[in-house]
Amino acid sequence: MRKTFLMQNPSVLWFISLLAVFTIAVTLMSEATGVSLISTSFIKTLGKTLCLCLVAIAMDVVWGYCGILSLGHFAFFGIGGYAIGMWLMYARTETIVAQSLASQPIPPTSQEISDAIGNQIFGVVGSSEFPMIWAFADNLFLQLLMVVLVPGLLALVFGWLAFRSRVTGVYLSILTQAMTLALALYLFQNDSGLRGNNGLSGLQNIPGFEDTSQATISIVFFMASALALGAGYVFFAWIVSGKMGSVVKGIRDNEARVRFLGYHVESYKLFIFTTTAVVAAISGALYYPQAGIINPGEIAPIASIYLAVWVAIGGRGRLYGAVIGAAFVSLLSSWFTGGGAPDINLGFYTIQWTDWWLVLLGLSFVAVTLFFPKGIGGLFDYLVRKQP
Amino acid sequence: MIRLLVLALALYLTAPPAGFAQSLQDVLQTHRDEVLKPGRRSVGIVLDDLVASGLPQALPFLEAWRDREIVQRDSDGLFFRARKQSLYDLDTGEVIGVFEKNNLTASRPNGGVRRAIANALVQFQMSDPDIVKRRAAVDAVARSMDASQLEPLAASIDAEADAALKARKSRLVSMLRALFEDTTNARVEAINTLAGDLSVDVRAVLNKVLASEAGVAAKLPDNENIARVLEVGEDITAENAYAWLVEAELAPPLVSNAQIRDALLTNINSGMVGTLPVAALNTEAARALAYDQLAAEGLAPPRVKEAERANAIAEHVFYLAYTEPDPAITDAAQKALTAIETKVALSQTVDLGLDALSLASIYFLAAIGLAITFGVMGVINMAHGEFIMMGAYTGFVVQQFVPDYTVSIVVALPLAFAITFAAGVLMERLVIRHLYQRPLETLLATFGISIALQQLAKNIFGTQARPLTSPEWLDGALAFNDVIAISYIRIAIFALALMFLALILFVLKRTRLGLEVRAVTQNPGMAASMGINPDRINMLTFGLGSGIAGIAGVAIGLYAKVTSEMGADYIVQSFMTVVVGGVGNVWGTLAGASMIGFLQKGIEWLYPSNTLAAQTYMILFIILFIQFRPKGIVALKGRAAAD
Repeated sequence: MRKTFLMQNPSVLWFISLLAVFTIAVTLMSEATGVSLISTSFIKTLGKTLCLCLVAIAMDVVWGYCGILSLGHFAFFGIGGYAIGMWLMYARTETIVAQSLASQPIPPTSQEISDAIGNQIFGVVGSSEFPMIWAFADNLFLQLLMVVLVPGLLALVFGWLAFRSRVTGVYLSILTQAMTLALALYLFQNDSGLRGNNGLSGLQNIPGFEDTSQATISIVFFMASALALGAGYVFFAWIVSGKMGSVVKGIRDNEARVRFLGYHVESYKLFIFTTTAVVAAISGALYYPQAGIINPGEIAPIASIYLAVWVAIGGRGRLYGAVIGAAFVSLLSSWFTGGGAPDINLGFYTIQWTDWWLVLLGLSFVAVTLFFPKGIGGLFDYLVRKQP
Repeated sequence: MIRLLVLALALYLTAPPAGFAQSLQDVLQTHRDEVLKPGRRSVGIVLDDLVASGLPQALPFLEAWRDREIVQRDSDGLFFRARKQSLYDLDTGEVIGVFEKNNLTASRPNGGVRRAIANALVQFQMSDPDIVKRRAAVDAVARSMDASQLEPLAASIDAEADAALKARKSRLVSMLRALFEDTTNARVEAINTLAGDLSVDVRAVLNKVLASEAGVAAKLPDNENIARVLEVGEDITAENAYAWLVEAELAPPLVSNAQIRDALLTNINSGMVGTLPVAALNTEAARALAYDQLAAEGLAPPRVKEAERANAIAEHVFYLAYTEPDPAITDAAQKALTAIETKVALSQTVDLGLDALSLASIYFLAAIGLAITFGVMGVINMAHGEFIMMGAYTGFVVQQFVPDYTVSIVVALPLAFAITFAAGVLMERLVIRHLYQRPLETLLATFGISIALQQLAKNIFGTQARPLTSPEWLDGALAFNDVIAISYIRIAIFALALMFLALILFVLKRTRLGLEVRAVTQNPGMAASMGINPDRINMLTFGLGSGIAGIAGVAIGLYAKVTSEMGADYIVQSFMTVVVGGVGNVWGTLAGASMIGFLQKGIEWLYPSNTLAAQTYMILFIILFIQFRPKGIVALKGRAAAD
């Protein structure tokens, strides 16, 4: 008798239920419902964390299941953020410009409006022209399409080139890191058309919802992030559980053997690489409206490496491990660097966690790699095994 | 009373004795009238005598004279310098009284005389016995490039003792001749002597001769020295061409969108402009229509139609004309400039090559340690950049204790090697040894060490950049000509890179350790069964690679700032170098470093203002390069290639 998908993967059910309970609980306690047990800024932090969990799942699939240590998935995350940020910034500036031009005696021409928007957006980099890449910025639907298409195509082309020439292992990692670095450096330029170093800002103001309070907006985004995370979890759980999942895991364990069995390894890898890149971009598109600002620094190679760190600490090769790792490390990180952790007085020296947190993270990361290769998620194995 | 007498006597004795004829005052007294009322002809005699006297105080006198500060005391006819209500003695330069207008007559040289004085001044400075002052004078001439300085400068050449300064003077004379000589032949001759000189000021002089002005006319004028005729659409845009026409008042100015808007704004009548309601004026076509109505009523200047504009442009010739009317001179200058520019381009290529070479040697130093560990052990060491940083900070700390920069560098190099060697061995023993079967995880574990080390350095040394001062003998640059120059630090780094190349080749090919390292690289299992201890070899290799990173850190710190993040700047480039070059091969690393160094400089040359773009394109190129040679330039063959 064939087991159903959920029967085979009890963790999916567990995860979805927990996520639903968590989302409902947070929503009920938020400022939007009037209870105000959780502040709006913390709701945003939680919403952002959910997005990070989603990109961590994508990273887990590409690394933990397919064995490709991509150091470029945070770049896709950033591209998604930029794509949605372009629309947010354009539409909002358009509203502002239209308001200020409306008071003039002669109605503005479309050229005047476009010039004024260009001035507003690109004034900081000494330009007022709209670059080509902003061609679709005035249309939400097209720009949402860009969120998926741009990183998807980039991953497809890059992956095709890399897998075709059988670049594997650490070489591939370095290559993806180089791609990320090139992208970040490109975006740092003022004439890249994306405001260089300044990045895109004011993304927390959603055009068309100027009168809605941030408390409501934040909870909407929180729920959207939770929904995306749930959907992403189920989607990837489904992908890695079937026959395809077996092939993918086979590629991770021994690529040559899978190839000799007659599977077209490159296609599988390309599919996984591109799909996870698209999911990363979607989570980025949900993340940055909550963060409010995006700049090229976010895309720097180090961010992608942190992504790998989260997955490794949470436990590779299991989706809930990635979620645990991302949530645990990023929340802990903001607790430590935000001054939440108490300083430790050693008598001769006071350890201030804002300075020492990275040292602790680095060393604990070494410890996890050395002693707990299964990460935090490995603890669940003990739980499950105890049951008869 | 007696006191007064003594004072007077003392004053008399300290004053220069009257019998000694060579005081400035004496020279001036012999030409009393010429000094007081100088004429253009008479001033020459005074100046000649002053030059002949060779008195050092003649120089400030001439400056004062030029600036109209010389006065004569009516009572005894002596001359003084009057400045800020005080009188100064001309010989001693001391204050001897207050300026009283009543009993003093000022010498007021006119413009021509002052020019003559200025000339004499230059001549004075040019033949000053002090070479520093002569140099300063030549510098002043080179700055001002004035026609009046040609003669005194040319006159001073023969007497010039210093060979370098003499050469400089005669070059300057040639430049001045090229600009200001009277006859065409003399100027052409001077221009020809300048050909082959690469310096910027010679090029500036030639460009000055070749200065051209934009012109526009119905027909190409015969009386001007035409540089070239400009094609509209190719050499200049139609917009610019029309702007020239407007400027030459050969065509009516265009009416801009802003002007249309202003005209419409001033002519709004109860919500209407002409026959159009204001609300309808939200397209450019509608605005143009309304404006044309205004123009028809004479309320605004008419718009220039597209056809009129094209006609106006078609009916005129646009050209560049030299300001220099003589074609013989401009031709000679053009020829000389072309010759110079060819040479400059050649020199720049050589200079670029040298720059690229030094960049390549830096990359080589940074990457060779990585190449050894990666090639021999298949281990990616993400903390390699932090070892570079540790080396640089070692250099900085040593300089805090050893004040002599030369000694401190000599101490820092081996110390940096020792410290990073120890750190590398420690890391290998504690972490990497346990991860040999899991290369991807080594990457992550070493990355953890990297962020910990980086933050540790930040906590200890702070976030600001620390200087690592190079010894004095490394300051400055080796200049081959005006274009080709390379700083001594870069030469030193190049030499260091060569030394390390030789050293590593020696260690790998000629020592027992090298033999064992190569054996372990090729087949660890087989090497172990031959009695080699792979553990020991791995440890030593890792230490060696890390130690070289430390030395590279000292070298890099000498010309770049030492910060906790400096390692991160080099790590990606180092990886690129290793990957492009091919793993496990010193020559491969050398090839990779050269390729990346030359490539980066080449792209920077193509995009001079944008180093970020250069790096972006370089990385893209490398990504593509890996497509075609996945195993690098120098790929291992046979069994060793299987990983």
